[in-house]
Amino acid sequence: MTSEPTSFLYPFIDSEERDTSALLVDLAASARSKIHQSRDVRRATLERCAGALAQAGAAMAARFAGGGRLFAFGNGGSATDAEGTAQLFCEPPGGRALPALSLVDDRAVLTALANDVGYELVFSRQIIAHARPGDIAVGFSTSGGSVNMLRAFEEASRRHLLTIGLCGYEKAAMATSDAVDYCLVVRSESVHRIQEAHDALMLELWAIVQRHLSHGEGS
Amino acid sequence: MLPGETEECGPAEDLAAAAMTLARRFAAGATLWCVAPPWPSHSRHVAVEFVHPVIVGKRALPAISIDGARARESVRLLARPGDVLLAVSTADDACTLDLLERAEAWGLTRVWIGAGPRPLGGRAEHVVWLEGADPRLATRSGDVVLLYHLLWELTHVVFEHPGLLRAEPDCTEEVCITCSDEGRVAEVRHALGGGMVEVIVEGRLETIDATLVEPVTSGDLVLVHAGVALTALGDGSA
Repeated sequence: MTSEPTSFLYPFIDSEERDTSALLVDLAASARSKIHQSRDVRRATLERCAGALAQAGAAMAARFAGGGRLFAFGNGGSATDAEGTAQLFCEPPGGRALPALSLVDDRAVLTALANDVGYELVFSRQIIAHARPGDIAVGFSTSGGSVNMLRAFEEASRRHLLTIGLCGYEKAAMATSDAVDYCLVVRSESVHRIQEAHDALMLELWAIVQRHLSHGEGS
Repeated sequence: MLPGETEECGPAEDLAAAAMTLARRFAAGATLWCVAPPWPSHSRHVAVEFVHPVIVGKRALPAISIDGARARESVRLLARPGDVLLAVSTADDACTLDLLERAEAWGLTRVWIGAGPRPLGGRAEHVVWLEGADPRLATRSGDVVLLYHLLWELTHVVFEHPGLLRAEPDCTEEVCITCSDEGRVAEVRHALGGGMVEVIVEGRLETIDATLVEPVTSGDLVLVHAGVALTALGDGSA
């Protein structure tokens, strides 16, 4: 970096830099600020989505009470949200264990579908194989535009599943799709803050479902 | 308050120090081994953050998720001394505790992220913890994910400071385990007969005298000082 003609403007970006203390202070300040931002985004999202969460949670509880199962899916970090969601419902911290499956877990199925029919169909083909009309489809996508998510929601809607989407932009294809019954949108420019808020939304949905089922509602 | 939220702003200083170490280890050629035995989705999530960054232009870094059930054998075979083990778990997870202890013998730097009661000291070089949070909720509320999102982000900030990537941090602990007379954790490889055993300690094979702790078998952990095994730490069945 020292060969850059403008390096005198940025003496801190210097290959001769040795003292870590200033950077450690900056890093900690940055972390503290982002922790606040993350919690602000999550709090604001939960407040803004409270009505949709209540409705979606009640609809999910009714499906579970009727023997429905939850299928979760997403790509990349959102795939791990799908996996974590399945674990949350199947091995809950409290309340009733509920049937949930992540469609990203079976690598044989994923690679077979991606190789033979195309990556855009990896979730919709599994919906075709597994889903019954009383089931629930939950999809995570920070962009809200992933083609394989949209295909899965279209297939799920066609088969009368309850469809719930979590995404990051109001104008995303997922947020405006007729195939998504409840789309919970996080307003943030940061993929990371969106993912963190998706977790908070899903935990809240899970808690609402548990409250309904413990009161015998939705059955 | 959000579910699992704590009053504290979070472990910002611990994240900063962990990111500094992690960037330095990566710069030296390390691979990041990710495990999360109670919550497997977190080990995959943290690995994909490093391998396929969400911000275009950030370098891809070698991070690999290992499933909890096979983690001990896989990491022992795959990791090289100087690599980093990142564990995401509760403080009392037996599989994680076993891995962290062995990782010391394998010569790995350990970063431990989690929630709930804070672990006792000495199990990892860097502990990044959400104390006071209910770990069963924090793991799904976004708080645990936030910690490793920030670890990734801060690690890349350190990469913008090439001068700081070279040196290892000075030993600032009051009692530094590598500089003191304390014993080192060793993992038994083979009994050689006559009370001597071959062990791996700090990532290197050494022959030590195990007469004080015999019988020992492959996989046992012992505390070694000056070429002598002083204490058996466990039978590896944890």
